[in-house]
This record gives sequence, C-alpha cells and structure tokens, in this order.
Amino acid sequence: MSQTDTAETTPNRTDSQGISTTTGETVEETRPEWTSYEAGGETKLAVDDLDVHYGDDHALKGVSMDIPEQSVTALIGPSGCGKSTFLRCLNRMNDRIRAANVDGTAELDGENIYQDGVDLVELRKRVGMVFQSPNPFPKSIRENVSYGPRKHGDIETGLLAKLTGRAEPDREEALVERSLERAALWEEVNDRLDDNALGLSGGQQQRLCIARCLAVDPEVILMDEPASALDPIATSKIEDLIEDLAQDYTVVVVTHSMQQAARVSDQTAVFLTGGELVEYDDTEKIFENPESQRVEDYISGKFG
Amino acid sequence: MIVVPREEYRESLDELRADVESMAKSVLGQLLRALEALESDDHEMAHEVIESDDRINQQYLELEGNCVDLIALQQPVASDLRFVAASFKILTDLERIGDLATNLARYALAGSSEVISEVRIQNIGETASSQVREAIDAYVDADSEACRAIDERDDELDASCQNASEAVVRELIASESDRWDIEQLLDDVSRILLTIRDLERIGDHAVNIAARTLYMNDGEPELIY
Repeated sequence: MSQTDTAETTPNRTDSQGISTTTGETVEETRPEWTSYEAGGETKLAVDDLDVHYGDDHALKGVSMDIPEQSVTALIGPSGCGKSTFLRCLNRMNDRIRAANVDGTAELDGENIYQDGVDLVELRKRVGMVFQSPNPFPKSIRENVSYGPRKHGDIETGLLAKLTGRAEPDREEALVERSLERAALWEEVNDRLDDNALGLSGGQQQRLCIARCLAVDPEVILMDEPASALDPIATSKIEDLIEDLAQDYTVVVVTHSMQQAARVSDQTAVFLTGGELVEYDDTEKIFENPESQRVEDYISGKFG
Repeated sequence: MIVVPREEYRESLDELRADVESMAKSVLGQLLRALEALESDDHEMAHEVIESDDRINQQYLELEGNCVDLIALQQPVASDLRFVAASFKILTDLERIGDLATNLARYALAGSSEVISEVRIQNIGETASSQVREAIDAYVDADSEACRAIDERDDELDASCQNASEAVVRELIASESDRWDIEQLLDDVSRILLTIRDLERIGDHAVNIAARTLYMNDGEPELIY
C-alpha cells in the first residue's frame, strides 16, 4: 500500500508516530512496507524530505530515499511526475532555474550538498550528468574528452604550459584513451580522435558524452533518459555500459522505458503524478510484486 | 490521467485464464474416467482416456505458446507477470496429470486393481482426484488458503500410498513361491505398485499447482521451494 493509499484509508493522520481516527482513538500507524526498504551496500546519496517548488507548482513532495553506491537506481514514472526534477536535485542543477525552490537535504557521503558554502563546480565534478540528447561540443573527439580535466586544471596542455614545460600530452592521451575505453567507444574511434565529434552517430555521441563525464573522475553519474533518442542497437550498448559502469560508479538513471529500468537497474523508484515517490524497492520486487496498487497499475499500463 | 486500457492485452490475459481452466477441467475429466475404468474394468472407457490424451497434449502446446507470446509481445509485469509465469508452470503439471491418467487407463486394460484385498485403490484415487479438483478451484478462485490446505493434505495421500505399497509387498512376501500363478502375481503386484505411485504423483502435481497459484496470488514462493 502506498503512502497515499494509507492516508486515504486511515484519515486524519496527525504525525509520523500515530494516526488519530475519526472516532478519536489513536492507532499505530501502518506505514507501507517499502518505506523501510534498505538497498544493499553503502549509501552514497541520502535524500531526506526533499521538496521542490517551481513558483506555485509543488513539483516534488517530501521525497526520501537512500541511493546505494556502485549500483544502478532507476527513476520511473509518467511525464511530469518529478523524476527529472529529483535527478537534477542530486547535483543542484535546479539551482540554474530561478523559480526553483528546494527544501530538505541531500547528502553525498554524509555531507549535505544544500548546505551553505558547497562548491558547485566541485559537486558537479563528483556528480556528473548525461542528458537525453547527445550534446557533444563541436570540437574533436579528443577535445571533448579532455575538456573537463583541462577546465578543472587536472591536466595542463595550453601554450603557457608548453612554454613552461608543464604540458602533459602523455597524460592527456592516457586520460582520453582510458575514458573512451571505459565508455566502450575507444575501439570505434581510436583512429580518428581529431575528427569532429558531431560526425559520430547518435549512439557514439552519447557514449562520447559518457566518456566526457568519466574524464573528470566522478563518483556518481546521473542519466536523464540517456537512450530515448537512440535506436535499439545503440540503446543496447548504452544499457550494457550502464551495467558495467555500476561496478565503479553510482548510477542514477531516469527512463521512460519500464523495460529498460527492469533490464539495467538494481533498485527502482516509482514517482507518480504530483511529485510523490510512491514506491522504492529492489527492481525485481517492483516488477514482480509491488506493494502499491497504483504502482501495479502504472507499470502494467493500466494508466499512464 | 490518460487511461490506457491495453484492451487487447487484457483480453489475452482473460483468454489465457479461461483456456487454462478449460484444460484443467479436461484433465480432471480424464483422471475421473481413468479411475472409473479402473474401478469397473471398463476397457472402452480406458481406450477413450488413452485416445483423448493427444487432445490434451495439443492444448498444452498451444497454451504454452500463448504464454510465450504474451511474455514476448506484451511484457507483463507485477501480478500479470506472476499470473502468466504461474500458468506456464501449471500447464506442465496439468499435462503430466493427463499422462498419469493415461497410465491409469493402461493399468485398467492390463488387469484388475482390486486383486490385493487390503489395498483400496479407489480410496486413494478419490483422495488424489480431490486434490486435483481443489487445486484447480484454488487457481480459478485465486484462493491462497486453499493452496496451503492442499499442501498440508498431501501428507495424508503420501501416507496412504506408503501404507498401500507396504501392504502389496507384504502380500508378495506372504505368497507361496511355488504358486502356479506366480507370474500373474508378479504382474499384479507390479501393476498395483505403479498405480499407487502414479496416484501419489498426481497428488504431487496438485501441490505444484497450488504452489504456483500461491505465488500467482501473493508473490509467495513458500510452497515452491
């Protein structure tokens, strides 16, 4: 039973400890089973009571969930349910939207990323993002990958560095190769690293964007419908890559494809209309025997 | 909220449920006829049972294909998935019960089932067929409590079969080895032991149906493992 289902059948909920019924008696609250769900492994991201408003629109309502490290967490739900909003909260991309107002906490390794003084550049280096449409820079494949590390000052390749002897071309080459290999793209592009990235296919461009994300050595990778613009073969490659990346990184992926969520994720969070997290559990549990009837109806296609 | 009924999909699920029920009733009919053939030495009925098994096998293959089609084309999840997965397994148990009913019909053709006075094959047969009937009802009614009851009662059937088998062996030991009809006695004993074993197996398949039905209803694998 979902939180809302509980609220509907047990009116006048007063607090988290007990429920005052219409007859005045207090009964022990029966919270839905999934709310005590603990994913295996160490918690990488701990989100607690997160609310997001876009002006008057309450886009995310009191969402709490722990995301374990080195695993794939899928966020699913119909359009407008708040899943992408939630994803963008995890590296404070919503800060870029003026009207967005975020309350609650989101801890990365125990540190609240919403506390004062957080370095957003550093945060987004640790929590990288891959978007729906591949968006490589109109530069060479090599430059796309090395752009981030150069900007962060991790490698020095500029003219000044060359003149002062601090240039590290070998390190850059190694980083480009390692990142492209990790993104399962090296074999396809290693003979044309100086070609313009926009000449790659859609699927290759998306894997390049993943390589670009990996080049700055993130800990968490957020993916917002990373395969929705790709054909089935390219989608399969991205899905294989997602599973592979989860050996080293914490991956959180928003997807409209329930089959994709079922295929690639270890745990699945289902958001439904109104910005509510209705159920969060092991992916097998969600797709074989969900607690909430609303989740059952949604994933079975009884509404969407 | 836009309503997306997936009408064709829901119809396919309803059809599968009705078809499995229909096959289950055919199989139960086969079993009851086989038991009647055993009781009354009715060779004509025994032949009918044996000849009808092909129809059951065809039905089984067709419905198994329908399950695979549903999984491949509609990707059922949650309770729909459990229903299709459970039905897929239950179909196999039904087909096996059909085969065992055919065995019983063959034993009826081979000789009487009441040659050993202590062993009441009909009583064991009634218990086994009741188990099957109740398992089918539990599936059709999605009744989890009935599933657990069927599992518990299977011990009684197993005990009856064990007692009957021991009685048959005692009869064999007690018989005089120089009896003129020793060959006939060995035939009878073998046939009765096989009959008992097949009835016990029918009970096991009924428990399997109950186990899959419980998983279908509640996602509970407790009777499966």
